[in-house]
Amino acid sequence: MSDEKKNDVLLKVENLSMYFGKGAMTKKAVDNVSFEVRKGEVFGLVGESGCGKTTTGRTIIKLYDATSGNVYFDGKRIVAGTKSYYDEIKKQKKLRAELQKNGGSAQEIAACDEVITQMYEEIRKARYDHKHCDDDFRAEEKKRIQEKYKELLEKASPEEKSKLEKQKRRELRIASRSKLVTQIQMIYQDPVASLDPRMTVREIISEGLIIQGIRDKKYLQDQVYEMLDTVGLVHEHADRYPHEFSGGQRQRIGIARSVVMKPKLIIADEPISALDVSIRAQVINLLNELRETMGMTILFIAHDLSVVKYFSNRIGVMYFGNLVEMADSDELFRHPLHPYTRSLLSAIPLPDPDTEKNRVRIRYNPLLDHEKTDEVPELREVCPGHSVRCTKKEFEAYKKQVEEA
Amino acid sequence: MAETKISVKNLRISFRTQNGKVQAVRDISFDLYKGETLAIVGESGSGKSVTSKAIMGISAGNAVVENGKILYGDKDLLKISEEEFHEIRGDKIAMVFQDPLSSLNPIMRIGQQLTEAMLLKNKTARRESRKDMKAMLAAMKQKMEAAGVVDAESYVSRFRDMEKCHAKLESEYTDALELAKEASARAENILERLANSKEMVPSGDMGGLAHAAKGSVSYFVVRDRAQEMKSAADSLSSLRKKAAKSGDNSQLMEAVQTIKEIADEAIALDVPNTFTLAGYMTFAENAIPKADSVKALNDLTRAKADEAFIKEFMEKAGLGVEQSIKETDANREAAIAALEKELPVFQGEPKKEDAEAAVKRLKPLVAKCINPLEVVKDSLTHTFGSSIDYAVEKYYSGIENNRKETARYARQKRKYDALAAKGKKPEWSVVPAGLVDVDNLRSDMEGTITELADHMKQQIADNKSIDVPTRTLEVVDFMKETEQRAAYRITKSVARERAIKLMESVGIDNPRRRYRQYPFEFSGGMRQRIVIAIALTANPDVLICDEPTTALDVTIQAQILELINKLKEERHLSVIFITHDLGVVANMADRIAVMYAGKIVEYGTAQDVFYSPAHPYTWALLSSVPDLDTKEKLESIPGTPPNMIYPPKGDAFADRNKYALEIDFEEQPPMFQISDTHYAATWLLHPYAPKVDPPKIVMERIAKMKAKGGNDNE
Repeated sequence: MSDEKKNDVLLKVENLSMYFGKGAMTKKAVDNVSFEVRKGEVFGLVGESGCGKTTTGRTIIKLYDATSGNVYFDGKRIVAGTKSYYDEIKKQKKLRAELQKNGGSAQEIAACDEVITQMYEEIRKARYDHKHCDDDFRAEEKKRIQEKYKELLEKASPEEKSKLEKQKRRELRIASRSKLVTQIQMIYQDPVASLDPRMTVREIISEGLIIQGIRDKKYLQDQVYEMLDTVGLVHEHADRYPHEFSGGQRQRIGIARSVVMKPKLIIADEPISALDVSIRAQVINLLNELRETMGMTILFIAHDLSVVKYFSNRIGVMYFGNLVEMADSDELFRHPLHPYTRSLLSAIPLPDPDTEKNRVRIRYNPLLDHEKTDEVPELREVCPGHSVRCTKKEFEAYKKQVEEA
Repeated sequence: MAETKISVKNLRISFRTQNGKVQAVRDISFDLYKGETLAIVGESGSGKSVTSKAIMGISAGNAVVENGKILYGDKDLLKISEEEFHEIRGDKIAMVFQDPLSSLNPIMRIGQQLTEAMLLKNKTARRESRKDMKAMLAAMKQKMEAAGVVDAESYVSRFRDMEKCHAKLESEYTDALELAKEASARAENILERLANSKEMVPSGDMGGLAHAAKGSVSYFVVRDRAQEMKSAADSLSSLRKKAAKSGDNSQLMEAVQTIKEIADEAIALDVPNTFTLAGYMTFAENAIPKADSVKALNDLTRAKADEAFIKEFMEKAGLGVEQSIKETDANREAAIAALEKELPVFQGEPKKEDAEAAVKRLKPLVAKCINPLEVVKDSLTHTFGSSIDYAVEKYYSGIENNRKETARYARQKRKYDALAAKGKKPEWSVVPAGLVDVDNLRSDMEGTITELADHMKQQIADNKSIDVPTRTLEVVDFMKETEQRAAYRITKSVARERAIKLMESVGIDNPRRRYRQYPFEFSGGMRQRIVIAIALTANPDVLICDEPTTALDVTIQAQILELINKLKEERHLSVIFITHDLGVVANMADRIAVMYAGKIVEYGTAQDVFYSPAHPYTWALLSSVPDLDTKEKLESIPGTPPNMIYPPKGDAFADRNKYALEIDFEEQPPMFQISDTHYAATWLLHPYAPKVDPPKIVMERIAKMKAKGGNDNE
């Protein structure tokens, strides 16, 4: 990957894990998942239900506190888990106790101590980042605004000055309430359940802006109308309630609600699964338009592979909390390597009776499709831009397979 | 053409709501053939589910059936009582619902839910079959006498005796075979456990094996080694005690192994012909014959029974069947003449008394046209009485309604105008008169009569070329089945075994453990399997699947679809499959009906609809789903479906259709026939219409699919 491209990374997920429950009851919903989403692209996350796609999305937007791993958004760490550091400390402490018992050298013990203190430092940092990333962001925003107006105020004439002062105060107020996570917005699966039935569309769309501290009625109204235009509804719809709309229109309202915050990244969690065929196309087209006109980046979570293929630039396939394969969408569909991906692709129903009636579904059985080893499989890059979770032996086999193709 | 299972004719259903009458289904007709899958496709609100619920007789409380018939066997499902429906719903027609979680009872164990219907339904089925059998035998006797057979009484009573014997033998055979299978499975399980672990198998399991092994000993199944099997089964419990004491279980394993061997051997045997055996036992010698193999036994019994009774009986029965056909045809001719004579009564503007009197005259004549020795029930003749009553009542209540409505409208209008003339503006508005289309109802009355007359003419023509011996065989087979059904009794333990077998056949691992679990212990896909298993408990011939995979993800969806296809093959089910996912339809359907706004807009085989779609709505549906090669912008369908309280005057899809012609807004298009199997309702097919090609995206995809199909064939 060239340096230029690396700079374009908007969202970086690093060894993210999310466990639920404690001790023997631990459920590893997301286990050591890493991927990057570049600016302006659509990254699709697919897998069967219960494989942790939605949990990944929700952890990124901080609806859950991650167990371990980091998420960087726009270069800043917004999510940081601590479990991996604690594990390391435990290991080092054990090692240290062993060394003391067996009479290890002072140097070795000191090295252990150093690692432990370092880990504690990491934990402190992670906790700080996880909790205070928004504070830092606010401080930066404030500083930026101060500097911007400093120049303007110096140049301005006395009449303009009071106006500018007012404007500056307003922007500062908004900045003092802003959050970094606001720049990531989510679209939910079920448009019926995710809209408050007792709020009008105007209230629903402007709610986020009001929480941010915007009180200008005129500005709010303009924003709401603009959003309604963008998503293909008319201005009269602003004063209606959600139950007065059809499924596709409701999903449009959900989209308007997240787009009005001018997010850099949208996490679309199965936005079309609950919709009818004819409406699906409408919503996909709308998301496509938004992406082209507003340059939005989208993390698209779905289980309908033909839609994901149509919509995404790159696709990650998840299986039981792990990312098993990641590649460009064309590449993934042309050369699926992991047996799970293959079984998933073979299950897609197509609108073509002849091929459909002769379709043979490939079954995936993790015990049979992989050789039994103690080695923990890792995500390895088989060819540029195409990674597969595999053991070393499998890695060689995949490489050969790619070269042959 | 295959046998028609369900035939829906001119169905029209609407819902009473506060805002007015919502016309959910508007005049649809389709047939479901035996062993095929008919898919109904359309947007939500197009009336797919309403149709299927009407077939199941579970329409919502505010639904009004305005018109139409749903013929199943000898019944019109729209007109039978709730008690009669109990015998069809679940038993003959079963349904798989969309959401598996909400269609299972959370506080009942899975096993209980599976066996509940089996036990309840068995009782009714037996009673019903006994009644049918009695009627058929009486009819047979009467017809034989009429054909000049002397001593018909004795033939029929001898046949009945033989049938009773046959049913007993048959059920004995099936029970023994089932138990042999169970014994084999249990023995295998126990052997495995004995070999793998030091712990002794619980006495309950051992007792189960002994019970199954002993039960399988019968004349048919474990015959030659019956003594061996019995002694092995008897020795099990003492051997188990011994093994538990000494810790050496080799003797016990040997005994279990013997049981397994004998059971496996028995399962592999040929199927004995219980019918001829029954004949042999009733007429030749009242004892079980000796033979070396099942095949030899079959040959022997066949020869003897034929000689003694069956051949003669078949001959005489043939005379009876022929006589019955002759008589029915004569009755039919009389009925046709009467129908044609009375037809003018229902044309024009008939008086109520006249019409009712005519109906009274016609009904007994038509009732005579039912052949008592029929195998496939003639649904039109059977339902004529209720249909014509219904149509007449509808017509006259329609006239009454129109009279009242016009009066009310005039009254209200007068009041409103009076207020308006005073310069006031009333808060209320005049509710427009809801008039019933009387012409339509009158043509229904006429239609019922002409349709029956045509149908009878057709039957008379068909009967001219009938092969009497084949027909006799069919009738006798049918009586055989009926007697068997009457004798077949399900006990609780049999029901449990059957439920476990069903669970196995729908792909649930370890069914014996799962049998005692609650629905929440199952995953989504497993729950849907249970729902399918429950639908199959009573061996239905028609399965209605209402979006069974919409709530599931791709891999599970593929599994469920494979399962439904497999079961369809195995059990010769006819399936109505409702969905909006065209990919799923391509996989499942033999024929497809595309519905929009309560009407079928296109109807054809899967090949017809996918490779040469004709209706703009089908084009729109096809172009709004991306396939794996789609890159360009998807063509979405603009707007929303029309408000069905005020359905549009012309084609319902015209507003959203960019290919709409002027006439689409004026008049509803009729069904144009494109090929023998392919129909579509769009004016574009009219000879005067401009030629329009489907959208590019659809054309390209079809070309690609055809190219691919061509390569496959080469």
